[in-house]
Amino acid sequence: MIQLTHVSKQYDQRPALQDVTFEIGKGEFVLLMGPSGAGKSTLLRMLIGAERPDHGEIVVHQKNVTMLKPSDVPYLRRKVGTVFQDFRLLPKKSVFDNVALPLLVQGVSSVDIRRKVTEALRAVGVEHKRDQLPAGLSTGEQQRVCIARAIVNGPVVLLADEPTGNLDPSLTSEIIELFKLINARGTTVVVATHDPLVMAQVNRRVLTLSQGRLLPEQRVME
Amino acid sequence: MRTFSYLLRESWINMWTNRTTTLVAILTTTFTLACVGVFLLLYVNLRAAAGWLQDDIKIMVYLDERLGSDSVAGVEQHLRGDRAVASLLFISKEQALGEFKAQFPSESHLLDGLGQNPLPASFVVALSQAFRSPDAVKRWAERVRQVPGVAKVDYNQDWIDALATVVRSIELVAIGIGVILSAAAVTIIANTIRLTLFTRRDEIAILRLIGATTSFIRIPYLLEGAVLGALGSALSLVMLKVMYELFRQQMRTTGRFAGLENLMAFFPPSVCLALVAVGMGLGFAGSFVSIRRFGEAKA
Ligand SMILES: Nc1ncnc2c1ncn2[C@@H]1O[C@H](COP(=O)(O)OP(=O)(O)O)[C@@H](O)[C@H]1O
Ligand SMILES: [Mg+2]
Repeated sequence: MIQLTHVSKQYDQRPALQDVTFEIGKGEFVLLMGPSGAGKSTLLRMLIGAERPDHGEIVVHQKNVTMLKPSDVPYLRRKVGTVFQDFRLLPKKSVFDNVALPLLVQGVSSVDIRRKVTEALRAVGVEHKRDQLPAGLSTGEQQRVCIARAIVNGPVVLLADEPTGNLDPSLTSEIIELFKLINARGTTVVVATHDPLVMAQVNRRVLTLSQGRLLPEQRVME
Repeated sequence: MRTFSYLLRESWINMWTNRTTTLVAILTTTFTLACVGVFLLLYVNLRAAAGWLQDDIKIMVYLDERLGSDSVAGVEQHLRGDRAVASLLFISKEQALGEFKAQFPSESHLLDGLGQNPLPASFVVALSQAFRSPDAVKRWAERVRQVPGVAKVDYNQDWIDALATVVRSIELVAIGIGVILSAAAVTIIANTIRLTLFTRRDEIAILRLIGATTSFIRIPYLLEGAVLGALGSALSLVMLKVMYELFRQQMRTTGRFAGLENLMAFFPPSVCLALVAVGMGLGFAGSFVSIRRFGEAKA
């Protein structure tokens, strides 16, 4: 599903990623760990074509992201859902409209939008807030809306960058449970975090970055 | 359908959010395009006038003083046989004198003092459509001058030519001003769109992340630019029309240039539509410029 071969990236001559090679299979749940500045966000941005590596090759969902034409990037992103620490919801649009956005940009019909958005909101448990503005929601609920928006398309991969960075421990475990649920339905999930609490909760495969290098992997058995 | 109404709504929200800037942009565009419009209107009217005068051109073929009536008939025969001639009117020496006296009553004693009538007989010739261009008139006049019995061929081409020169200069000025002010309109709209893009940059980033295509992201802004341009252009036409009617009113009440106010014309509807389309195009171009710059800054 995701394949990196000898990927390197520098910012102003400072390496952000160095010779990173790994593969994530379909349906896996992977944690991308490492301290702040290790290169986790850079790596996730590369997976959706928001950043290009200086060297190496990235394949996501059978598409060579490194060779992707800029005009094809949107179509990749429709297959890859993204969740952020800061939620990135549109403040002036209702919860419903926020979640509907990925469908709207693809020209999905009104009926299908209604059905899929309702499904996604139900899946993350904020269906009752559908007509509110994001500002009227708690941070946990906002993160759930962000996740609903990421899965409303039925993506093959879900990427989350520090999704619990703004949440307290009890909310963190709720959100992690949600990711597990989404993963159980067949979506490949990659969560980047520096929060050891998340690792304790997840207990799955962990990729660790340190100063842009991938550390040798230790399989965690359930 | 939903997507389309979303894009329209986004456009509207953009304009409403920055409504002061939007209004200023529309009004500035209005005044800018109205300036171009004034010259265009002047140009259109003067060109039409030059056309009418050229179409209305009468050529005076003066006959030799000593010509007998047989020879007059000969010249008439010649002219009637010429396919360039559309109509012909004979003015005898007496008629010419009568006309002169009627037109300049105070000067008629000058002719009385001469004892005999010094005015020549003449034919007033109107040429047929195909022979009314300045060149054709000139060539025809030179040919007829050679006809025996013809003393002189005269026509008021000089000041028609002068008018044509004026029309051509106004055309150049109109093009020059049009280009400069159109560029100004594009810049004004480009700046407005840039502001909108700036206020919505976070939203644009989000749209990119969730897989919106470049064209989907651009459409509301292109639409906004097109609407600004079209509105500015339409308002400038309204302004011009009001000015034009006031001017005609003024001419009618002062009574000067009597009748001229009826010859003046405003742009026909098709031209008005075309001008609105041009305004729309300018607005479109303005937003395109801003979007391109914005896109490059992001990349
Ligand atoms: N756009 C950028 N410009 C310059 N340097 C950057 C940029 N993005 C990230 N970096 C640098 O790359 C390194 C990795 O950053 P990042 O991927 O954000 O790490 P993490 O998400 O693990 O905290 C850091 O040293 C950071 O300063
Ligand atoms: Mg980060």
